[in-house]
Amino acid sequence: MAAGDLVLTGLMAVLLVGIAALLTRIENWRSYTPLAGGGTATGETVVHREKPAGIVRWLTTVDHKDIGLLYGVYAVIAFAVGGIMAMLIRLQLVTPGGALLGANAYNSILTSHGITMLFLFGTPIIAAFANYFIPLLIGADDMAFPRINAIAFWLLPPAALLIWAGFFLAPVTENMIEPAQTAWTMYTPLSVEQTNPGVDLMLLGLHLSGVAATMGAINFIATVFTERAEEVTWANLDIFSWTILTQSALILFAFPLLGSAIVMLLLDRNLATTFFAVEGGGPLLWQHLFWFFGHPEVYILVLPPMGLVSLILPKFAGRKLFGFKFVVYSTLAIGVLSFGVWAHHMFSTGMDPRLRASFMAVSLAIAIPSAVKTFNWITTMWNGRLRLTSPMLFCIGFISNFIIGGVTGVFLAAIPVDLVLHDTYYVVGHFHYIVMGAIGFAAFAGIYYWFPVFTGRMYQRTLGKAHFWLSMIGTNVTFFAMLALGYLGMPRRYATYQFDGAIAPLAQVQTYHLLATVGAVLLFVGQLIFVWNVVQSWLEGPKVEDGDPWDLERDGMLDREFQWFDRKLETAVTDGGEDEEQSALTGARSDD
Amino acid sequence: MALFGFEKDTLLDLTVNVIPLGIILFFIAAFAVVPAFGTDPVFTGMQFALMISMFLLLAVLTYYAGRAIEGAEQEQESLEEASAVNEPEGEVTGLEDGDDAEAELDDASADGDDE
Repeated sequence: MAAGDLVLTGLMAVLLVGIAALLTRIENWRSYTPLAGGGTATGETVVHREKPAGIVRWLTTVDHKDIGLLYGVYAVIAFAVGGIMAMLIRLQLVTPGGALLGANAYNSILTSHGITMLFLFGTPIIAAFANYFIPLLIGADDMAFPRINAIAFWLLPPAALLIWAGFFLAPVTENMIEPAQTAWTMYTPLSVEQTNPGVDLMLLGLHLSGVAATMGAINFIATVFTERAEEVTWANLDIFSWTILTQSALILFAFPLLGSAIVMLLLDRNLATTFFAVEGGGPLLWQHLFWFFGHPEVYILVLPPMGLVSLILPKFAGRKLFGFKFVVYSTLAIGVLSFGVWAHHMFSTGMDPRLRASFMAVSLAIAIPSAVKTFNWITTMWNGRLRLTSPMLFCIGFISNFIIGGVTGVFLAAIPVDLVLHDTYYVVGHFHYIVMGAIGFAAFAGIYYWFPVFTGRMYQRTLGKAHFWLSMIGTNVTFFAMLALGYLGMPRRYATYQFDGAIAPLAQVQTYHLLATVGAVLLFVGQLIFVWNVVQSWLEGPKVEDGDPWDLERDGMLDREFQWFDRKLETAVTDGGEDEEQSALTGARSDD
Repeated sequence: MALFGFEKDTLLDLTVNVIPLGIILFFIAAFAVVPAFGTDPVFTGMQFALMISMFLLLAVLTYYAGRAIEGAEQEQESLEEASAVNEPEGEVTGLEDGDDAEAELDDASADGDDE
């Protein structure tokens, strides 16, 4: 078995080295730029005319907008996979004995749900917006390194296949290779001692996604620093670009560390090294390394959504973002402080109380910049002329959920409270308020807000609102029930909960689990409506003929991306790149 | 008022980061005055190193970000003044806030005419 693992890992290593060798043979990374035909204000026509047709276009594209769309489609597919896994988890927990799955299957799905949502949905959906809109917002022709941009994306599909490999391979290998059952935190010694090769595949996939994220981050930093239009300065750089810049810096410092830790874990698993063994570095070393990456990862995921809300909310409040610079400086503050709070995930590990106290101090300090943003958003809406469109509703939902997720987080930052609530559903409720209630909501706000730009069509407004209300109610029913479950002492990650009624009130626990599942069903229905709305509107929605579909001009808030969209609509007639038959076939998805 | 070479408005903006700095400073002082868990060269050293390093990093980043933004603002203002003098009305483009900036430019050029 160990020999098999070794061969498998060796093969993967050879494959990766081969890919690296192949890539280094390319002599000049910047020999091709998509605007080789000459970049002008309307240079986009040159780009699109040179694009090949059909699937080849998507496989070979280095256009930031196409890559943005690829990221978006990838993320939505991952969101669907992760969402179905979440539904299975919730349905399982309707009864104390478990309604659907065995313990192993439950652990597999729980692990993959976490990894899928964080690494295959969260990071890519942000990259989707950033790829499509950062160059437009800062007046760049494209990303600084278009080819690296493409490679960064194309590393992700193999990453997903590796992460999910166990699910595909278990049936054909008679469960020799199963999905990883380590939970997304991959704590040692559990993750070292599970002999299942599926864990190795998952680790390699995770590593690959980290490489992709790092390449993307380098590209964004280079783009924002060097490709800005002349008139875009640090003083008037938009808030979304600021958050992406900070996020990229966090990725640059955090992900290589995850990569190193994963390599050490792979070595411990396959080559009998002792990085995380008791006689070596000790199991706690993994937790320190993992959370030194893991906590910045939280902000990697939440800062750009905060940027999206800061960008979109003022548009529908009819007022400029209150305290723009407060938001910028607090974003930078979060970026720095996020590297000094990692051990608040480890308060109950028995670490030295003096160290614990210092992590609590920094954790309480980092709450301030987040709270400042919340007050800025609320003040932006104060006395504003609110227009409750779908993107605006999702922005307001974001704030509401972020407040609950944030306040529960402040409690957890306090050591005495954390020692009581650690590893209970309270923690699960807390971070789901952030990852679903805030990050997910901001992603939806972004998708609806820019839908006219990337599809040329308008979504169905009623369905958008139905999506919002189902998501809002579903999120709060599900995750508030989890907070209550945490107070009742329900531990997280368990496939069943047939405990003695003397330990905790089993009847109430079951009721709250049931409530959480009802909320999850509401969420699920909402997302079905979302997918239907996006797909149908993309194919058949009314074409947008006005370059300012949100009427932003009235408040002087028409940003560069909509100005670009307006120019694109104006030049579409003279462009005429596609004949009628082809545009009827591909027009819905074509962005030119 | 020019604390650390910043203008009053920039200082006001930077207060947002002064609050977390203050919180960290408070805890540094509190833990120094009341070492509830005793002192140990290694752990107490690490405890203070963590808080002090975060304090310094945040202070330095805030300082340089403030410098960069204030510098860009001043540059933009001087450009606006220059273009208001040299360019004819209605041809100033690409500014962050078209309406306001143009209104300001109108004022500026009107002032210029008066003089």
